[in-house]
Amino acid sequence: MELILNTVFSAAFVAAIIRTTTPILFASLGGLLSDLVGSLNVALEGMMLISCLTAVLVSAYAPWYVGVAAGMVAGGALGAVMALFHLRFKADVILVGFAINIIAAGGTVTALNLATGDKGTSIGRVLSAAIPELDLSFLDPIPVVGPVVTQMFSGHSYLTWLGAFMVFAIWYFLYRMPGGLRFRAVGEYPPAAEAAGISPNKLRTYGLIASGMLAGLGGAQLAMFNFVGFTRDMTNGRGFIALGAVLLGRRHPVGTAIAAVLFGAFEALSIALPGILPQIPGEVIHMIPFVVTVVALMLSSKRKLTA
Amino acid sequence: MTLILEARGIDKTYPGGVHANQNIDLSVTAGTVHAVVGENGAGKSTLMKILFGVEQPNAGEILLDGKPIVLHSPRAAIAAGIGMVFQHFSLVPSFTVAENVVLGVEPRSGLKLDRKRAAETVQALAERFRLPVDVESPVERLPVGQQQRVEILKALYREARVLILDEPTAVLAPQEVVELFAAIRSLTEQGRTILFIAHKLPEVLEISDRISVMRAGKMVGEVAASEATEKSLARMMVGRDVALKVERAHKGPHEHFCRIAGLTVKNDRGLDAIKDMDLVLRTGEIVGIAAVEGNGQSELFDALGGLRPIEGGSVELGGIDVTDLSVEEKRDAGLAHIPEDRIATGSAGGATIAENIVATELGDTRFVRRGLLDGKAIRDHAVELIAKFSVRAPGPDAAIGTLSGGNMQKVVVARELSAKPRMLLVSHPTRGVDLGATEFIWQRLAEARDGGASILLTSADLSELLALADRMIVLYRGRIVAAFANTADLTPEVLGSYMLGFAAQGHEELKAALA
Ligand SMILES: Nc1ncnc2c1ncn2[C@@H]1O[C@H](COP(=O)(O)OP(=O)(O)O)[C@@H](O)[C@H]1O
Ligand SMILES: [Mg+2]
Repeated sequence: MELILNTVFSAAFVAAIIRTTTPILFASLGGLLSDLVGSLNVALEGMMLISCLTAVLVSAYAPWYVGVAAGMVAGGALGAVMALFHLRFKADVILVGFAINIIAAGGTVTALNLATGDKGTSIGRVLSAAIPELDLSFLDPIPVVGPVVTQMFSGHSYLTWLGAFMVFAIWYFLYRMPGGLRFRAVGEYPPAAEAAGISPNKLRTYGLIASGMLAGLGGAQLAMFNFVGFTRDMTNGRGFIALGAVLLGRRHPVGTAIAAVLFGAFEALSIALPGILPQIPGEVIHMIPFVVTVVALMLSSKRKLTA
Repeated sequence: MTLILEARGIDKTYPGGVHANQNIDLSVTAGTVHAVVGENGAGKSTLMKILFGVEQPNAGEILLDGKPIVLHSPRAAIAAGIGMVFQHFSLVPSFTVAENVVLGVEPRSGLKLDRKRAAETVQALAERFRLPVDVESPVERLPVGQQQRVEILKALYREARVLILDEPTAVLAPQEVVELFAAIRSLTEQGRTILFIAHKLPEVLEISDRISVMRAGKMVGEVAASEATEKSLARMMVGRDVALKVERAHKGPHEHFCRIAGLTVKNDRGLDAIKDMDLVLRTGEIVGIAAVEGNGQSELFDALGGLRPIEGGSVELGGIDVTDLSVEEKRDAGLAHIPEDRIATGSAGGATIAENIVATELGDTRFVRRGLLDGKAIRDHAVELIAKFSVRAPGPDAAIGTLSGGNMQKVVVARELSAKPRMLLVSHPTRGVDLGATEFIWQRLAEARDGGASILLTSADLSELLALADRMIVLYRGRIVAAFANTADLTPEVLGSYMLGFAAQGHEELKAALA
């Protein structure tokens, strides 16, 4: 027990949580934007996966930031496709989302095979780039807290810091800018927005594209930092966990970020625990975020029913 | 006397084939209140939607300030200075008043939404036009009357010179109507023009300068309000004389039928809504309950109808104690109920007219044999009632939700009266119902009374109570504070002072009147 507590409360574990949280955080913020504007994006998972592969393949031939940008663009393009089918062709948004997930699961394997001749992983086949670490070791000399701060916060991906900034930026957009007011109006009561001369479908399109771009950044982080290289199904449910984070976070950017950290912590725990407690299978711990998501969904739908 | 808005030869046929507007002319003078009245379905809303760019006319032209203008969307109408408040509000519930008003035309400082300026601007507008409202409050916390103010402020914020209000008083309590009219007067004093849609005549006469009357898609006339009377307008609207008058009950021996003793009912918050009420209803009389909304009348009717538990006391119908009986058993004892909310409680919107009519008679062997519905008998019965109650509907298989308010109410009234009830609970029977149907429903209720039924009636419309009731009871905070025989000298003013709690009858006086 003591060993567990020591692990959980160590600076290294905090660093691990930050690392596992980053991809989930991006995807969650993406989910938040589309959910707030009224179209639930269940395709986060597939968008992330396609972005992972895109980022890996592009970064094999171009600088890392081009790889990241490519992942982001791939996600955004999928968001646009979703908007096209859902808003123009009036297909159900959940069905369109699952179609993207299914295509992503199969399509990435096929594309990987075409590009590298391997159906499982890009590792060893292509040499993809990694996102650089942001070194904060200059904080080390600060008395007392310096070493701990360095251990926790130094050496993370640039995107981690971008992610933290995005929480603030999205909050600012939603609650301080006119565009955010319109976004939330469309999500809450579309006829009111329409009466005010705002086109709900236009904003939903923006929401889905932004959602895809954020999921794409999450994918890039996953395949260019947390792991370097693509492995089939490497997103491993993170896109769905992100949806859970949106609901658990009560559809607010800060709440969503906190929920993303919580799910990141479970993931970090599931990596650390098997070493300490071999009797608990890792799968059980892996299950926790999904169980929490289901419970969060149940609670939030119950809240809606009683409201 | 310059004309601000004119419609010439407007014609509109909906894709379904309804010819809703036929060659309509309308001229509205700047700075006046111009009312458009007509029965439900006359085409008033259609005309207003055309003037606001929501619907496109098939023919005709619109002139603003004497110049032809094409309104292909509400946005074009807003840009031209025309605003409209619909019957259904379009407000974002969680947003504040100020946010709702500025949405789409937000004041900015740099990239930021300038909340302070938004609140100040809206506050200033509210004060200028006598539309007081808390600008920082979320609209979901405001009563309907104030939400309506927010809608009006939205139009004014967008600099509407002509404001179209579609049946603004339909959702308002009497006091709120007074406040709305004060705002309308302040608007016209400041040069704005109001197009006011309504079908309640007294208030139209009170607020308007000119009145245009529509009937069945046509404009049948225009008069100055000063030259019109309720009677003359009603005749124009309905196309015949309307007798909104009901004879009092026959004199004669009316024995006691319903005996309510010591009745106590709780409201949703667990507080006493009705306290220790004693009341006796005789056969062949209508007893009116007058009360300001929220003084226990809804709870009383729900409890008597079996939709709410009775906490204490007893209710007897014709000598049978029905206090603890189920809704169905009460029906068997002769009780029928025309509820307040005909959409939620009175009918099943998706079901057909025939199904709604038979819904309360599933124990009747005419319609149900060996547990199976007899479709033909049910339809025949529905066809008969549709004809008898002149429900305007395509047929017995039409979903009741597609009918107009008046016709929906006729179906509910038809169903409840067809059971030949001995005791009838009636709440707001003509709320949102047009004149022709009102006259009809009143006469059916009087007929049921003359057939020996005891009727307990409540209505927010005092003139309706005074027209129908033989006796009148005033409820204040869950207690009977006054009782009267309904004679010519009983006026709304007299009732009002009791309803607001300014006066109460003495114990002896009350006892005598209730006996
Ligand atoms: N969108 C629509 N499609 C088809 N018919 C309609 C539509 N709106 C109204 N109508 C029909 O047009 C007629 C006039 O309706 P409306 O203008 O709403 O009348 P009012 O406002 O005077 O009650 C009615 O018969 C109604 O059923
Ligand atoms: Mg109408």
